[in-house]
Amino acid sequence: MKRIAALMPAWMGSIRIRLTGLYSIVLFGLAGAVVGGIYIGLSRTLDDEPVARTYRLAQLFPTRDGFIVSEGDLVTSLTGFESAVNARALDQLRTYSFLALGLLFVASLVVGWVIAGRVLQPIERITSVARDIQATDLSRRIHLEGPDDELRNLADTFDDMLNRLDVAFQGQRRFIQEASHELRNPLAVMRANLDVTLDDPDADADDLRHTAEIVGRSTERMARLVDDLMIWARQEHLSLRHDPVEVGEVVAAVAAEFEAPALTEGVSVRHASEPGLWVMGDAAALGRAVANLLANAIRVSISGTVIDLRSGRQGDWIFVEVADQGPGIDASDHHAVFQRFWRGDKAAAREEGRSGLGLTIVRQIAEAHGGAVLLDSALGTGATFTIRVPAVPADAPTQPLRLDV
Amino acid sequence: MRVLVVDDEVELADAIARGLRREGYAVDVAYRGEDALEKARLVPYDLICLDLTMPDIDGLEVCARLRDAPPTELPPRVLMLTARDSLDDRVAGLDVGADDYLVKPFAFAELTARVRSLLRRDSGGTGAVLGVGHLELDTSRQVVTRQGEPVELTTKEFALLRYFMANPGRVLSQEELLEHVWDENTDPFTNTVRVTVGTLRRKLTADDEDPPIETVIGSGYRLIDHEPEPEPE
Repeated sequence: MKRIAALMPAWMGSIRIRLTGLYSIVLFGLAGAVVGGIYIGLSRTLDDEPVARTYRLAQLFPTRDGFIVSEGDLVTSLTGFESAVNARALDQLRTYSFLALGLLFVASLVVGWVIAGRVLQPIERITSVARDIQATDLSRRIHLEGPDDELRNLADTFDDMLNRLDVAFQGQRRFIQEASHELRNPLAVMRANLDVTLDDPDADADDLRHTAEIVGRSTERMARLVDDLMIWARQEHLSLRHDPVEVGEVVAAVAAEFEAPALTEGVSVRHASEPGLWVMGDAAALGRAVANLLANAIRVSISGTVIDLRSGRQGDWIFVEVADQGPGIDASDHHAVFQRFWRGDKAAAREEGRSGLGLTIVRQIAEAHGGAVLLDSALGTGATFTIRVPAVPADAPTQPLRLDV
Repeated sequence: MRVLVVDDEVELADAIARGLRREGYAVDVAYRGEDALEKARLVPYDLICLDLTMPDIDGLEVCARLRDAPPTELPPRVLMLTARDSLDDRVAGLDVGADDYLVKPFAFAELTARVRSLLRRDSGGTGAVLGVGHLELDTSRQVVTRQGEPVELTTKEFALLRYFMANPGRVLSQEELLEHVWDENTDPFTNTVRVTVGTLRRKLTADDEDPPIETVIGSGYRLIDHEPEPEPE
């Protein structure tokens, strides 16, 4: 097909012209065949069954000796007359046929052009709207009217796709705005402190040290923010692995990782897990989600309290629960905690260099696994975060085979 | 000139306050919208540097409330500081009554230039240099000259003279001077106003002249703004 397309002249690139040509050729061919058939049939019939009959006619010519009977001459001339009439009729038929075919050809071109135009009109519209849509403004839609046919279907599919793109782009734009806002604040802190200190001719070593410390803290804050942004962006756009994962092992590894930081804070982590908690997913991502929850729990916990880290099965779900005995989260904030750049205490969060993306990442990972993250908390009662992910059915034939690498 | 710096970024607010104090402004700091409104109720600030995004009451709300109920006859100028730079944000800020807008991160020199420009609007001046009688004060270079001769002033004396020169010929009470030239950390019962006005007057007075700042007994002080009389031949 491609080779044919390459051989076609440029003006044949228009579907309208090709459709017109095709229509016209088919119509012309059919009409030509019909007329040709009629012509041939007619000419055969006329030859086979001549209308003229042969009569044995005798004519008597009186002479002096009596009569001369003349025979045959007249009959022959009648037959000649007959075939001359036939030939003329066929001749006229041919002339009119060619004339009619010629007219038909022209008419078929016109009709073909018009019909092709009508059929292709919705496509024109789809094309022009699609051309008008800029990458930055996806608010326009085709909104094709008319019967519920294939083209309408195509336009609606386009509209659906534009909807999805629009939502995705808007989300991304909002995210970039928020992220740049978050990055600008530490930059402003650095800039203002540097400007003020460097402009001060009397600044002593202590002032310079103080400024350097502030710049250091801001840099650290920005670095963590950028790290978390990268994680967030990567999870947003790259698909996670889809391997069999034993959640208990993931949780145990995270618990071991946080043993030392918890001890420094004077918090103990109580870890309990059921065996055989298989899910399909990405072990590293799930580990990261649990780690974020555990890091949060350790941060808010008061020294001497216990964090319960439990994992198990509940119906079709595998859950991981992180329960702290910290100050808890007010019910009115339950929705907000999972939003980007939310921090309970902004000033304190900054001191610790938190990005405000931790719980957003947890939610993202849970949802990417077809699960969810839930929060159960009230002020003064501690907080319990639960990640739940669909379990691999126990009787599934594809019981995962584990290979230790 | 009394300035309130409001920003939930503690280290940013402190740095701005530090820099503005060095320029001779009396600066108070608030880290939350609520504190800012509280302070603005008590003190007739000349200017408020206001962060737009704060966790409790955001800058737009603070600005709107300040405008709804101006605490003094001359409401404070508002300079919005924000990390958001979209057109909508700017329009929203200016719509609720902000006088100017500065996008973070900014150069400190730009902030001080805008502060000067906003404060000039009140005193009716157009340039960075204020002039009254023999005295000229360059707010941008922080230089004071008397008959072309430079006068050495401390930051506080400079701030005091700037306030006098922004209000020439008007009697300024001790309380007003304390409110506009000293910050919230000053003991209101101190005699620092009297002492500073005294030293400033001494520095500005040549041996054979009347002092340019006179004491109006029972009311306060006044900077004499009439044209210097031609020197006797």
